[in-house]
Amino acid sequence: MLYIKCPHCGMRSQNEFSYGGDATIKRPELGKEISDQDWDNFVYNRKSLRGKHWELWQHISGCRQWIKVERDTATHEIFNTLKANEEISL
Amino acid sequence: MSLISALAKVHHPGQFGDFEDKKGDDLLKISEKKNLLIVQIVQFKNSNISTDSIDIDGLNLKDTPLNVTFNKNTRILWNGPKNWLLVSSNKDLIKNISLTCKETDFAVTDLSHSRAVIEIEGNYAIEVLKKGSPFNFGVLKKNNSINSLYNNITFTVDLLNDKPFKVRLFALRSFGESLYHSITDSSLEFGYENK
Repeated sequence: MLYIKCPHCGMRSQNEFSYGGDATIKRPELGKEISDQDWDNFVYNRKSLRGKHWELWQHISGCRQWIKVERDTATHEIFNTLKANEEISL
Repeated sequence: MSLISALAKVHHPGQFGDFEDKKGDDLLKISEKKNLLIVQIVQFKNSNISTDSIDIDGLNLKDTPLNVTFNKNTRILWNGPKNWLLVSSNKDLIKNISLTCKETDFAVTDLSHSRAVIEIEGNYAIEVLKKGSPFNFGVLKKNNSINSLYNNITFTVDLLNDKPFKVRLFALRSFGESLYHSITDSSLEFGYENK
């Protein structure tokens, strides 16, 4: 069983969480002109990285908060977790 | 209008499972708690007021994980950041809450009829929970509460006492019967008495 340390609740089973996608995607600035390709990249195109990766997860059966999780997509090892409003330092 | 409790169709008095030769706290007691006031209190993200100044039935809203503030009638369970579940036998408290928690800062929702509440008492109550929940109950102390899963049903656990164990389980009313079946099925090996 995979365990994720929720920054609000503490160490919990992965069963309580729901995966929410790539946490590094940034929405284009409001009001700024962007190309169709940039919009396409924001909405659809994702890299399928092997290795360390920041992801969004929701503690759906716990505190119901969205969190950021740094996980190795090959080994499933979890290195770090952050609250949703905390910035990722790459 | 008469109210029908969430578990009225499934919860019947009697002794079940391996109850023979078991007495006192070795026999689990399972009951449905009815007529409780259950209120969800959520502070808005853009609200800056301190919850320490909030006084509900003499209790504060503490934004501390696992924390339950309580008195004789009322328990306030931490449900998430700026999110609490108030459970009280004092039904008139809803007026007090509405006055204390201003609608500019808080969302107050009466959930009294949308939750099924199961109470389990006995030495093996935590063992029953361990059988269906992935949470490490070794870290749960008296007057702590958590949200977790029991056989994939989302539920809230409030540990009222630890000698003997006394826990209150809250689930969505529509999942109440399903949770009740899971709990009683897991309790068979310990033996239980329905009250």
